Amino acid sequence: MIFSNNKGITLEQYKEPMFSKDIIRLPVCDMIRTQSCLEKPKDPIGLSSDDIVAVCREARVIDESDGKHLWKKICDAKERSISSIIIDAIDDEPYISSQIVPAIRYSDELTLGIELLKKAVGVDDVKLEVYKDLAELDTRVPEVIGGVKVSFVGGTYPVEQRAHRAKRKKNSAIFGACSVIALCNAVYKGLFHATCYITVAGDCIANPANYEVPVGYPLADILNDAGLIAEPKRVIVGGSMTGVTVSELDKIGISPTTRGILAFHDEFKKMEESCIGCGRCTNVCPQGLSPYYIYQVLNSKSKSNLLIFDADKCISCGLCSYICPAKLDLQQTVEKAAALTRNMKGEKE
Amino acid sequence: MNLSLQTPPHIRSKDSNFSMMLDVFIALIPVYCMSYYFYGKRSLYLLFLSVGISIITDFICVLMTRKIPNIKDLSMVITGMLIPLLMPVTADWYMVALAVIFAIVVAKHPFGGIGQNVFNPAVAGVAFVTICFPNEMFAYVKPFTYLPVNIVQSISSVASPAKALSLGGVPSFDLTDMFLGNVPGPMGATNILVLFSCLLYLVVRKTITFSMSGCFLLGASLSALIFPRADMTGIQSVFYEMMSGYMVITAVFLINDPVTSPKRAFPRCLYGFIAGIVAMLFRHLGRYEESILFAILVMNASVWILDLLGEYVAHYYRRKDSENRESEKAHSMAGKDRSDI
Repeated sequence: MIFSNNKGITLEQYKEPMFSKDIIRLPVCDMIRTQSCLEKPKDPIGLSSDDIVAVCREARVIDESDGKHLWKKICDAKERSISSIIIDAIDDEPYISSQIVPAIRYSDELTLGIELLKKAVGVDDVKLEVYKDLAELDTRVPEVIGGVKVSFVGGTYPVEQRAHRAKRKKNSAIFGACSVIALCNAVYKGLFHATCYITVAGDCIANPANYEVPVGYPLADILNDAGLIAEPKRVIVGGSMTGVTVSELDKIGISPTTRGILAFHDEFKKMEESCIGCGRCTNVCPQGLSPYYIYQVLNSKSKSNLLIFDADKCISCGLCSYICPAKLDLQQTVEKAAALTRNMKGEKE
Repeated sequence: MNLSLQTPPHIRSKDSNFSMMLDVFIALIPVYCMSYYFYGKRSLYLLFLSVGISIITDFICVLMTRKIPNIKDLSMVITGMLIPLLMPVTADWYMVALAVIFAIVVAKHPFGGIGQNVFNPAVAGVAFVTICFPNEMFAYVKPFTYLPVNIVQSISSVASPAKALSLGGVPSFDLTDMFLGNVPGPMGATNILVLFSCLLYLVVRKTITFSMSGCFLLGASLSALIFPRADMTGIQSVFYEMMSGYMVITAVFLINDPVTSPKRAFPRCLYGFIAGIVAMLFRHLGRYEESILFAILVMNASVWILDLLGEYVAHYYRRKDSENRESEKAHSMAGKDRSDI
């Protein structure tokens, strides 16, 4: 349909060689593991729902897909009386594979974690979602991960947000794959959720792979451990589409929601040309917005008709900036307009 | 370590303004090859003249408006390449020069230069020259007449298919010849086969979308089918109208100018369709042999209405979507309350 919001584009994935390599556990992680331990429950299988929530709370398990505490999410899911659980392992951003690779490599832990989660929430229907268009990979994604049949989610970027939006309607709860593994580790091994999985990639990295690193570990140390073959000009925390560049590596640490670190040695050339009105941004926006018009209105004097463009519906996927042939910073513009629109709407109400 | 800061996204698509214009540039080369094949070196002379004047004029205009000249900007080259294609090979140098200067100085830069112009510069330039020199603009010669660069003796012009149609007659040309371009007409507008391959190339390269060209041809052929200009069947009328004059070159190059076309898919289709009908209307009522260009100018001026219409419709759909979501949320909340009780 002409007005369907299912637009977007298929991005090149660049997930190799990180995808086929084993997860590298930094030596620091083992140190943390031996130092801090929870009391191991004697009978992990016989735990009740409340016990699992309590262990979750004690181990401070954080869902890596949205940064919320897992125990809160479990309680919320129980309250909402949901019908199915969705394990999110959709890595739709290029380079990033820090959800799907742990899910494949630590399949046993994931199985146990899913069993615990089923018991905690009280729902038997579990789905594991994986991004479909992973054709260029050397290793294939197995059909069954963690005792659950994988459902492949296809479509164009941004898959993750779109899939979740659709699921939220259908009375289901979404949990990140890594937090389920952390839940298993907490219950069976008595481990705090003190480490997380990130993808370290980019053309400066000597050994690009998925790493298990402690939470709060400085970026500079991670880059040193992964090995640098060239001096990076830009380091990105997060994905290549939505991540942020950082300037001081030793002052910024890894958070539980960090999905990856990318280091590139080419400097991004800022060559803003004038807009030629090709309309690609409008035709690619997954929210059906018109970045072209928002850009025009923001650059003009009268901003009164900004309201019809609904800039506050932007999900910051970055596709408008990605596709722009004039290399304009459209996403920034739309976000500026979004703030303005929210102000204007607030004034109206 | 000296790290640079920038805003996301950190990867960009490979397409740029330059690559898009280069695609159009490449697509125009076979059209010039055909015109060289039919009319000899005078077509290339007009090409170089037009592009040269276009580059110089644009450079001066950019300097006068105190902007920084962009070497990678090919828009004026495209304009300069399009203008001779819409003219007969007999066109004098001053006609080409006038069209190019009008295009750059009047149609492009007063509106703010590249990306801001309301009217397609090439169309505006040629339309202006059509008004100034109505006889010379339609003085076509037979294909395979190789004219010298300097035309000294007077040339006997022949009638083109568009002329016959505008006078209410049926063209006496073979349809295959018309398809291959072996009929008198504008330098680049007669080679229907080549133009369609250019369209295919541009669509495959995703520089243009097929919807606008397709809807334009659809609208024009529908009105040609229903209202034939001469005493012939509707199907015949469609074939002759499609293959004569500027119809196909308009569908491929002129209407697809990104600056002067709507942005969303739905207004694009609507724009193409209405432009097709308006083009046929101008052919019916126009006094010139070929008046599609004026139809394009009228349509260019109305792009903003269609675009805003598209925005309002999209706004309506977005609002409906969010209302649906809110009502579902309310529904689920209500269900939750019930379960609590």
